[in-house]
Amino acid sequence: MEIAYFLGCIMNNRYPGIEKATRILFDKLNIELNDMAGASCCPAPGVFGSFDKKTWASIAARNITIAEDMGSDIMTECNGCFGSLFETNHMLKHDEEMKDEINEVLAEAGREFKGTVNVRHFAEILYNEVGLDKLADLVDNPLDLNVAVHYGCHFLKPTEEIQIDNAEKPTILDNIVEATGAKSVPYKDKMLCCGAGGGLRSRDIDVTLSFTKEKLDNMTAAGVDAIVNVCPFCHLQFDVGQTEVNKKYGTNFAIPVFHLAQLLGLAIGLGSNELTLDSHLIDTDPALAKLVAASDKATGE
Amino acid sequence: MMSKVCFSMSVLERLKAFLTGAKNDVSENKSDKEVLNQKKPEKTKDDLKSKQTSSKDTNEKEKTDSSIAETSENEEVAETSQPEEVAETSESEEVAETSESEETTVEETMEEPSESSDVDEEELEEEDENDKKDEKDNMTLLDEENGKLTLDSVDPDFTQIFIDAGIDTVEHCFQCGTCTGGCPSGRRTPYRIRQIVRKCLMGLKDEVISDDALWMCTTCYTCQERCPREIKIVEIVKMARNIAAENGFMAPAHKATGSFVIKTGHGVPINDATMELRKRVGLGELPPTTHSFPEALEEVQKICEATGFNDLIGFNKETGELE
Repeated sequence: MEIAYFLGCIMNNRYPGIEKATRILFDKLNIELNDMAGASCCPAPGVFGSFDKKTWASIAARNITIAEDMGSDIMTECNGCFGSLFETNHMLKHDEEMKDEINEVLAEAGREFKGTVNVRHFAEILYNEVGLDKLADLVDNPLDLNVAVHYGCHFLKPTEEIQIDNAEKPTILDNIVEATGAKSVPYKDKMLCCGAGGGLRSRDIDVTLSFTKEKLDNMTAAGVDAIVNVCPFCHLQFDVGQTEVNKKYGTNFAIPVFHLAQLLGLAIGLGSNELTLDSHLIDTDPALAKLVAASDKATGE
Repeated sequence: MMSKVCFSMSVLERLKAFLTGAKNDVSENKSDKEVLNQKKPEKTKDDLKSKQTSSKDTNEKEKTDSSIAETSENEEVAETSQPEEVAETSESEEVAETSESEETTVEETMEEPSESSDVDEEELEEEDENDKKDEKDNMTLLDEENGKLTLDSVDPDFTQIFIDAGIDTVEHCFQCGTCTGGCPSGRRTPYRIRQIVRKCLMGLKDEVISDDALWMCTTCYTCQERCPREIKIVEIVKMARNIAAENGFMAPAHKATGSFVIKTGHGVPINDATMELRKRVGLGELPPTTHSFPEALEEVQKICEATGFNDLIGFNKETGELE
């Protein structure tokens, strides 16, 4: 299987350990990730989509045409990128008039949207193409962690178009996380947004942090060792945003944050160096120490 | 029809009098209602559009009807229409609305039984303006003078933009409030999505696009997922924001994000620290994106120019900066 690998912005330009883990994992899974040379920002659905729909759809469509030229479906591991690319692809496949309008713009850049590929999310590919059994087989170290799974908003919604899982009570990520041996812990308002999307983080950080604090409060109440997400923007919000919440509210939240690719990386034996965990603002050591302790105990027995 | 209203009023008044023991309050209430009833027939105006809008959510009836106006919820008031429109509603709607309003009036009087109990009916009408001010100070945050909507506020072209953009589901809204009820932003900001949908349908362009709260949506889709009318609510918000941006309501931070994409192809461009990290883990120092392919960046820039995005955010191609 070959996939056109869409990077986006935050993963490759802030948390490259997510990208590294993904490349190693997919190598093990015998899925070929091909770079989409010259791809740009998706662009962000909340920000760009809120400014000018035509520009948003045109830039997204340009990215899709790169995969069309490669002849393979697109994979992204960012909910925002998934939202923009999936929605644009869906819209242009179903709306001829819009497609013509966007192609008029793309002609300026010497490109044409044809509608020949699909846009897929990393977690959906793991679940549907790889499968939980095969994932579980790869696990070297079962992860003894209590995890707060954060779905984010644009992975499953709008369900009418995306149709991956039930948006109010999904299970797909919990199942993938539990394939690593970790436990997905239920917590209050699990489906609540991290607060960063829709251009809110750059426009009104205080409102964003109010969302994030509510999530952190609820996760803390559930007693979790780590947060696992499938979106680098949510990832950034829980990592950088957690320090901002602490500063603003005088709290001491210190919940390590992992993108699903990083969690899977730990499960297949990658070290914190490769996963660039040292670049996280929130120290991931408490979670890693728990894993080491569990591993030592297992070896001792 | 009117007798029904009077009947329900008298029951409520007696109930109130029973609870509070304040007889004069009853007469005050009556006089208020008389003012309301007298005013109604004076208004005549034939405008189909205002009829459509007013028949659905007319709460605020008349300036002199302070007790009614003040009972409206914060959220509701901005959606109310002009006093004249009351007379245009059909008879049955009028009664339904009147009785609803009267009920809230009584409720409120019950909460404040001591208020102006010694004013007689004639004085009351004359001093209505003063009373209103006093009560306003006591009971409401609403600015009745500036908060009023007139037909001048309605721009039918605004509504048409949504319909033309394929978001005709805006017309399906029956204002149940499920959206606002589930909205995480509404819990912490003045953002009221039900109200925004209503205003978009009513054509209240200026109200919608000039409101900062429009930008408090994180596009989490909770409203849209739960909407019993399957309205594309997030699409409505994004389109309203598009129109706001077009009319100059765009935050500097958002323009900056836009300019990053024009300059680098990325909303969040690479930095030195990440280049180091990338090198360390054996990835290319620069990702294989527009960061590595200048000709690809040019394509993005051509797109932004073709769609007018540069002009929208005030990006000067010559200086490479925002104006």
